[in-house]
Amino acid sequence: MLLYLTRRIASSLFALLVISVIVFLLSHLSGSPVDALLPDDATQEQVDSFIREWGLDKPLWQQYLTFLGNALQGDFGTSLKWPGEDAMGFVLDRMPATLKLGGLAILISVVIALPLGIAAAVYKGSPIDSLAQVFALLGQSMPNFWLGIILIWVFSVWLGWLPTSGTGTFAHSILPAIAIAWFQVSALARLTRSSMLEVLDAEYIKLARVKGVSETQVIWKHALRNAAVVPLTYFGILAASILTGSVVIETVFSWPGMGWVAIEAIRGRDFPVVQAVIIAYAVIYMLSNLVVDLLYVVVDPRIRHG
Amino acid sequence: MTLSHDMNDRGIAMHNRISNIRHAPKRLLATALLAGTILAAGGLGNAAIAQEKVVIAVSPLGADSNLYWTTTGAFIFPSMQTLVGNDPETGGYDNSQLAESWEHSDGFKTWTFKLHPNATFNGDWGPVTSADVVHSFNLHIGEDAKLSGISRFREMTITAVDDHTVRFDLPSPDPDFLFSHAGRGSLVIYSKAQFDAEGLEGYETAPAGSGPFQYEGREVGQSLTFSTIADHWSGVTAEFDQIEFRWVSEPSTRFAMLSAGEAHAVTLPRDLSDDAMEAGQTVLSSTAGAMQSTMLFTGQFMNPEAEENRDARTYAWADVRVREAVNRALDRDAILEVLYGEGVQALPVYTMDPRFPGYSEEIATGFDDAFGYDPERAMELLADAGYPDAFDNAAIPLVVTSLAGNPEFAQMAELVQAYLDVVGIETEMREQDWATGNTAIRGFTADFVTPMRNAPVRPSALGVQIFFTKHASPHLDVGDPELNELGAMLIDETDPATRDQLLQDMFTRIFETYAHIPMASVPASVAVNSELVEGWTFPGSTSSGLSHYHLIDLK
Repeated sequence: MLLYLTRRIASSLFALLVISVIVFLLSHLSGSPVDALLPDDATQEQVDSFIREWGLDKPLWQQYLTFLGNALQGDFGTSLKWPGEDAMGFVLDRMPATLKLGGLAILISVVIALPLGIAAAVYKGSPIDSLAQVFALLGQSMPNFWLGIILIWVFSVWLGWLPTSGTGTFAHSILPAIAIAWFQVSALARLTRSSMLEVLDAEYIKLARVKGVSETQVIWKHALRNAAVVPLTYFGILAASILTGSVVIETVFSWPGMGWVAIEAIRGRDFPVVQAVIIAYAVIYMLSNLVVDLLYVVVDPRIRHG
Repeated sequence: MTLSHDMNDRGIAMHNRISNIRHAPKRLLATALLAGTILAAGGLGNAAIAQEKVVIAVSPLGADSNLYWTTTGAFIFPSMQTLVGNDPETGGYDNSQLAESWEHSDGFKTWTFKLHPNATFNGDWGPVTSADVVHSFNLHIGEDAKLSGISRFREMTITAVDDHTVRFDLPSPDPDFLFSHAGRGSLVIYSKAQFDAEGLEGYETAPAGSGPFQYEGREVGQSLTFSTIADHWSGVTAEFDQIEFRWVSEPSTRFAMLSAGEAHAVTLPRDLSDDAMEAGQTVLSSTAGAMQSTMLFTGQFMNPEAEENRDARTYAWADVRVREAVNRALDRDAILEVLYGEGVQALPVYTMDPRFPGYSEEIATGFDDAFGYDPERAMELLADAGYPDAFDNAAIPLVVTSLAGNPEFAQMAELVQAYLDVVGIETEMREQDWATGNTAIRGFTADFVTPMRNAPVRPSALGVQIFFTKHASPHLDVGDPELNELGAMLIDETDPATRDQLLQDMFTRIFETYAHIPMASVPASVAVNSELVEGWTFPGSTSSGLSHYHLIDLK
């Protein structure tokens, strides 16, 4: 098991190194921050001074090594768009907002998706199943930014129940959380349904029923426990997707999280912040997957003893 | 008995279950309505507050800092002041900011400003004096300054003549010096007393200004809040207690904020402005033109000698007949109506403006004859030029891009392409972000036709040098020896009449050689909530187009 974990951590670190190269190259190849941050009529003197100040006159490999050395110490430089702000500090300051929104979205996803998927499997072919399928289809078909705008218009403009955007109260987080969660509810519900259907058809379930075990126990104890491996696998992806996939929704709802920072930094060619936010996202993704791998060990004894 | 009792219990339970199911939708509805009512009640609280606090939602800033000189000058805090103001009705210079009066030497190389003797900084930081102006000037010309036009400031010297008089000595004549001190905002006055007491940290935390509002705080990247000064030294006072600027990227969200009554005013792209008006909101325009738009041919295509990096003479638009054909192919009335709505006038020459010297009535009246929509003439010109066979680079790359504040740029390129296609001009749509285009232009490798704006509208003498000659921004030089010669003469000329004539000659040259594709002179616009805002007069003289927030008239 220790070997398994060591391998997983080593591969994660290697992936992180590759990501750092990609992020560095992409942020430099996609254009110069000079043109985004200096006015249209900036003089050559201003341009030269800016290039010197940010070390953009050095060879790319030298810039990368400097970047990597600093990044290992958590130093991604200072923001260009938000002068004076430490790039990684600025990103991390926004993490609680993203976690808050993501946490609520995960909660909504799990609370709705699992019962929905189980009900759809237990009542296969019934109106409940059809309703769940339609719900899932809608969730997976609608782009979440579009759903977000529709939610704003219905619940904020027409009904006046919730604020359109921004942050401050719990009410501010409801619409963006729903907009993020719907897609994940659909995915998780479908996975739960198909996994449950497979398990409900298994011999040991039939045996349990023949032995007179109550239907509630059959479903929630015997079937769900075994069917949970598939949704559990997806849960890691779901958690990471929700945290990293909030980019568009945070922008639509002007929610000051990491996703919002990512978009604003890209627009402003603020490459220290772009690099910091992508590395932060990469770490989140890897940690999520690592946690899932650890959960596997707990759930599946074959890995533990393998 | 037991069995019967049990059956009875089951029957009651079943009845209850059915009843529960029957009433579930009603309960659900009731719960939802209750939740909605509670949430809406919270919202009503906000609406009530909103009457005391004016909220303006706009696109996020390119650079977001309390240190004005580290930004590109896109937004001047309403708590801060420049030396020169702009009249809200005409956009002309006035003394509504810190300078009470000013004068210049005959040669326009010395400018002296007298400060309002009663001007004071907010927050008990004392009177505004020459020392504050000198201190601010020195901050603004530092290495961290990114302000537009600040390079000119680095070449001049400033002297505090007395407590309320400052003098600027310039290396060359500048009859348009006031422009830098007005809406363009190349110099914003900070308190030296605050700097001495708190250093830059004080400015970063809460910069003291002398405007009719006081800085209250910021949520980084989210909002800025200012409170109204009740007894401002200038005598102006807003009718509301606070003003908050919210940076909201998504235009649909800004529109929703306006419709929900969460914002008093929002900036919107053209299509959403129409929707806002249809929904009963009001769109207010600046009293004067806030921006000019054009499509620029890039490269030194009029240079008779090859460029150092790229020979722009191979571009199709190096041939004046192609340039004229491009201009003749466009139905500007139709294009401008789509892009900006009715009432926006075509611009005869980019950077020429009736408010500034050099304006030529002759060019303006002759515009329709020379640039009017005439596809047949365009096709004749192309045939005469042997287009496309006689050209190595016949296809014209049109840049599809967007720029904060100019969402219409992408559509502009698409419309131009459609019209050019009709007369047989080959085009290639090149999607690229603004910064990428600028990189190519600054690197002298640009080989495309790109949308461009002039905002705020610069004095003609400055604008024409920036966009057409080598004297201000060499990368935008069209390479015409005659224009460059006229530009060189303009730099040293101080006689107003001669300057006027030189500028007219430059505009005539640009006009006659079809050196660009002029589009429109456009006012700044803002959508306001009709139930909350009665009106707002602003001249469109700043980079963002918005100013004079104390004139927001609430219902």
